[in-house]
Order: sequence, then C-alpha cells, then structure tokens
Amino acid sequence: MAKSDDGIRILQGLLVFGNVIIGMCGIALTAECIFFVTDPHGLYPLLEATENDDIYAAAWIGIFVGFALFALSILGIVGIIKSNRTLLLVYIILMLITYAFEMASCITAATQRDFLTPNLFLKQMLERYQKSDTGNNNDKWMTEGVTKTWDKLMLQKQCCGVKGPSDWQDYTSAFRDTHSDADFPWPHNCCVMNAQGSPLNLDGCKLGVPGYYNSDGCYDAISGPMNTHAWGVAWFGFAILCWTFFVLLGTMFYWSRIEY
Amino acid sequence: RPHSRRQHRDARTMLPLLLLLLATAHGLDKYTYKPKLVGSTLGGRTTATTFVLEQPRCVFSQDQAVIWLVVTLSNAISTFNDTVGPGTPERAFQRFPVNATAYMTLNTTLLNYPCPKPPGEIAVLRVGSETTCASDESRPTCNGPLPGPGPYRVKFLALEGTEPVAETDWSDAITLRTAQPLSSISAKDGHHGAGMIALTTILSILFAILLAGLVAMLVFWGSDACDSSTFSKQEAVSVRRYNTHHVYDQPAARL
Repeated sequence: MAKSDDGIRILQGLLVFGNVIIGMCGIALTAECIFFVTDPHGLYPLLEATENDDIYAAAWIGIFVGFALFALSILGIVGIIKSNRTLLLVYIILMLITYAFEMASCITAATQRDFLTPNLFLKQMLERYQKSDTGNNNDKWMTEGVTKTWDKLMLQKQCCGVKGPSDWQDYTSAFRDTHSDADFPWPHNCCVMNAQGSPLNLDGCKLGVPGYYNSDGCYDAISGPMNTHAWGVAWFGFAILCWTFFVLLGTMFYWSRIEY
Repeated sequence: RPHSRRQHRDARTMLPLLLLLLATAHGLDKYTYKPKLVGSTLGGRTTATTFVLEQPRCVFSQDQAVIWLVVTLSNAISTFNDTVGPGTPERAFQRFPVNATAYMTLNTTLLNYPCPKPPGEIAVLRVGSETTCASDESRPTCNGPLPGPGPYRVKFLALEGTEPVAETDWSDAITLRTAQPLSSISAKDGHHGAGMIALTTILSILFAILLAGLVAMLVFWGSDACDSSTFSKQEAVSVRRYNTHHVYDQPAARL
C-alpha cells in the first residue's frame, strides 16, 4: 500500500508539473498568436486579396486556445491536488474540446502555408497592382490594399516583382494596360530612390543598369514572414498538443485510481 | 598595226581610271561593323517595345556627316534604298511598318560618338524611348516605341546633306519580348507538403487515443458506480482499513 501511495504521489507531482508547463505554453501561444495577428510586416492585404486568409483564422483560434489552456491548467492542478473526481472529469472533457480546436488551428495553418506559392502572388500582383477600372467596392478595397502593399514592399525591401523585374515583361498585367512599356518597363518603385523619394536616375532605371534598379524578386520578403507565421502557429501548437496528450493520459489514469 | 596597239593600250588603262572615278563620285564607305545589342548585364536590353544598342564608337570618321539609325523589318532589307532621305513620308516612324518599310531616327554627329570610348562609361542608344511624339505626324524622325516584336534589323547611315557617305553592315535580327497572357499562370499548383501530412496524421492519432481513453474512463466510471451499489465491496475496503488501524493500536494498548 505504501509503495502504491508513493507511486500515486509521484504521479500527482508529475501531473501538476505537466499542467504548469501547459499553462505557461498557453500564455506563450496567446502571445505568439497576438504577435502574428497584428501583422508587423504589413502583408495581410495580400492574403486578404487571395480570399483565403485561413492562416489568420488559425492565429485567432490560437489566441483563445492559449487562454483556455492556461485556465484549464489551473483547474487541473486544483483537481489533482484535491483528488476530486468531478473536477478532473470536467477538466478532461474541457481539455479535449480545447485539444480539438487547437488541432484545427495547427492543421489549417500547415495546409494554408502550402497554398501560398510564388505563382499565386505573381498572378495576384499582375491582376491587381495599379488596376484602374475596378468593379464593386470590395474589389476596389482589395486592389488598393494590394497596390499599397506592393509599393511599400518594393521600396522597403529593395525588390521588384515576385521573381524579378522581368515579371512585368513576361506577362500581361493591369499595370501594363495603363502604363506604356517604353516609359515603364517596370514600375518606378523598382528604381533605386534618393533621399527625397524620387528615382536616382530614371533613365538608368528604365535601361536596367545594375545599381539604379532593384533586380531581385520580392518573393523571399513575402514568404519569409508567412513561413514564420504558419510554422509558428502549426508546430508550436503541435508541440503543446503532444505534451498535453501525455498529461491527459496521465490524468485519466490518475482519475481511475482515485478511491472513493 | 602599231596604230591599233596604241589604241588598245589606251583603252586598257582608261578602264580602271574610269572605275576609280565612278567609285569616288558615289562616295559610299561601307564598314563591316555590325550594330549589336548591349550585353546582358542591362536588365532592359530588350523589352516589348524597345531595345538597347551599343553606340558605334570608333567606326565612322566623317566629321561633317550626320549619322542616322535605320530600322527596318528583317524581311524588308533587300528592298532598302539608301538614297531615300529621312523626314520623308517613306521614312516616317508614324507610318512604319505598313506604309513605310523603314524609318530613320536618332540622328547625331560624330561629336556624340567620341573615340576612344572612356572605360566604365555606358555608351548605349535606347531605341523606342520617345513616347510623346509616337503619333505626331509632324515628327517623322521620332524615336518611338516599336510597333511589334519584330524581328528588326538596323544599321547606321552617315549622310552629308542628302548624300549617303558611309554606312555600317546590317545587324543580326533583333526580336523583342512578347508578353504571355496573365491567364496562363496556374495559381493552383500548391501541393501538400510532407510536414503537413505528418502533422495531421499524428494529431489525429493522438486525438483518437484520447477519445478512446475518455470512453474507457466513462465506461469504467459507469461500471464502478454499478459495483459500488453493492455495499459489500465498500465494506470490505473499510474493514480492511479498520483492521490495519487495530493492528497498530493493539500493541500500543498492550504496552
């Protein structure tokens, strides 16, 4: 009897420790997801225009799941110390519901990341950048978002197009419809700017002289933050869920060993 | 007989002299230089409506001549006539290529092509850069954007007044870039990565195990509740406790 008492004590200690970790990870998940939702790189309009911004939905779910994990971990610690069957049953059921939501968030983030390919952004940029005749208000909103984001992106990251300035030459685009090829082989934001915000040498930029125009593509600048966002939500969530799995199994076993 | 030989000798010497006179009277220096596109370091080497040529440095030597660039379609070089001057309707940019088989533009003197070329200087000519005069019929020598992908061939022609005095060879065919339609980009080529599949599989398995555990728990609880209605089992437990209590107490009481 004494031996199994010790065993039960060890299990209690482990479970309390496990729940403490879950609580802290819950706070960390909430903080991480709030960081992603605030969109520090300003890339949200690009996602919004793809009409598939599930990565952001995954981050929002992550915020609430994080809170729930923290609250439930406190409930779990109380239930384990008091060895109360009802409390622990409530804890297990609520934890399973939270588990299901976090699973959904992880899988969504991982799936959506695979969806964001260079061609997707290329097509969107060519269709929407500087598009002049927009239909309804929603279309106009998305077009403005895409145009502003690309202008800012090309200026700040010194890049041009998705794969390079030749994107503007290789394909037709809404930009090409309103800007002649001779005057604008690529948008003027692809030119190296001086301190006042105008091109250093417009002719050099149009000729494509290295040093007067941005010859790199912007895809790395877009996919970098999005990868961090998606993997941050997906894999950190996955790690939390693996840990929670063991804690829950332990709690179920402990629950079955509680004597009346 | 001596009379006729002298006549023949005179005719033989006259012919080369006549040919020399003819050549200098026409005065056209033909250079073997071929105009060519700039190197590939320039990103705007060819676009849809423009291309960039190297300047003809150290080619011409006629100080008084005006050097023109002649642009024509590849299939029209055989019918090209040097004597038709620039600024005429036959050589107007605005009527190219339908009503004018060639056009002449980018006129300048040798002063703008100094020889030798200073190292590090980018000496180029951008053909097709003037958009303002592209439809202006009063500017037939406009350097307007080219009307199609080509292929085009160009050469440099030096004119003194209206007289052609020197020319280069025709360039190789220059083909401009054609833009593919936007709809040809397939944006649906995202495939599911291995990481995502592993993540989904593992999480589903873990969740299934937990649900099974929950079901087992509830079944256990249900069976436990049913059994606990039998008081004997409970009594057995409490009796056991009571026994151990007594076992420890009795020796103490005896003492």
